[in-house]
Amino acid sequence: MRYKEYNVNSVLEKCIQLFWENGFRGCSVNDIVKATGVNRFSLYHEFENKEGILYNALRLYKLRYCEDKFMLLKREGPLEEALKQFYLSFLNDESPHQGCFFILIGTELADEDPEIKKLVKNYLEEIENLFAERLLQEERIMENAKLYARHLSGLFCTSMSFCLIQTEAQKQYHIANGIDLIINKKIVHAPST
Amino acid sequence: MPQALNDTYEELVQRAQELFWTKGYKGVTARELADYLNVSQSTIYNKYTKDMLFMDSLDYYTRTYSDPFLKQLRESTEGMESLREFFYKLIDALLDKTFPKSCLMVNTVVEMQNENKEIKVLYQRYFDTLVSSYKVVLDKAIGLQQIKYPEKKEAYAEFLLGVIFSLSILYKINGRSQLRTFIDEQLSFVV
Repeated sequence: MRYKEYNVNSVLEKCIQLFWENGFRGCSVNDIVKATGVNRFSLYHEFENKEGILYNALRLYKLRYCEDKFMLLKREGPLEEALKQFYLSFLNDESPHQGCFFILIGTELADEDPEIKKLVKNYLEEIENLFAERLLQEERIMENAKLYARHLSGLFCTSMSFCLIQTEAQKQYHIANGIDLIINKKIVHAPST
Repeated sequence: MPQALNDTYEELVQRAQELFWTKGYKGVTARELADYLNVSQSTIYNKYTKDMLFMDSLDYYTRTYSDPFLKQLRESTEGMESLREFFYKLIDALLDKTFPKSCLMVNTVVEMQNENKEIKVLYQRYFDTLVSSYKVVLDKAIGLQQIKYPEKKEAYAEFLLGVIFSLSILYKINGRSQLRTFIDEQLSFVV
């Protein structure tokens, strides 16, 4: 028996919330059955195993929650402001959870599960590419676009973890300070080692 | 409490910390914890609770892994070079699994956020030590004239605070040389 697509997505949506609250290891298949109302057999039929649910949950999360935020980087307007809005959109999200599901799951599993590693890596690469595209539009920094994009992506990792425990003012400062140091300073090349 | 019992509890904390480091807080059930520590489940429910063992694990982690590492950093003499060495050592510890799973504090921040007051006190202590250690090194770097804008010290220290967080994710998806380059570049934003 197969579900219609909207059913699959509503199951996955519940799983995103469940994993977000309890971590992947912190929920059993039983918990998933309880939260989704779908029995174990059907879950396995649809997703193969518990990991399969997670991989699909990550893909849905990106479609449903990230694509809009990615668009913030394509908007017209001052660069620093666009960057700041991008980071903050994850932290001041209207969804019940703050931060980024990829960073949360990556923290738990990217060193153990090759598929998670791949998903997180691709996700961060996509963000890095979006940064690079945006930076290439600015004449003053275009020659260092790749370098800056790499570190704005590093700042994304930092903001999605460190900023989770900060007050609103601390978040704003950490992000603005990071952006400022990365893009507003003439680059001094590090000595080769 | 008699000394022997104290020792025993410290040993339990030490082992609990190993488990929490690799599996997180939520990923460990009371039963797993009891099995791993070789105590009964009722001990975990009634005497040494999971919460109590977890909080003390964070404290144990800070004292055992983080404090000595940071003390070394504060006592270093080469400014930015010492800072680079510090981060390189951290990369090695992560990749060689001396630190079996990133930094326990970072993991906890992501997993638990500001779950309770007690944990916030532990974060505070941890990040205060970290930021003051960075400032000590930055002062030395300023003394060695390695830093062009000494007045930006606070901003640099804040920026450096982020490094253990980004490394904690990046080491899982990148190799050693990429990570070292990342550090070199991060430090170039500071000098």
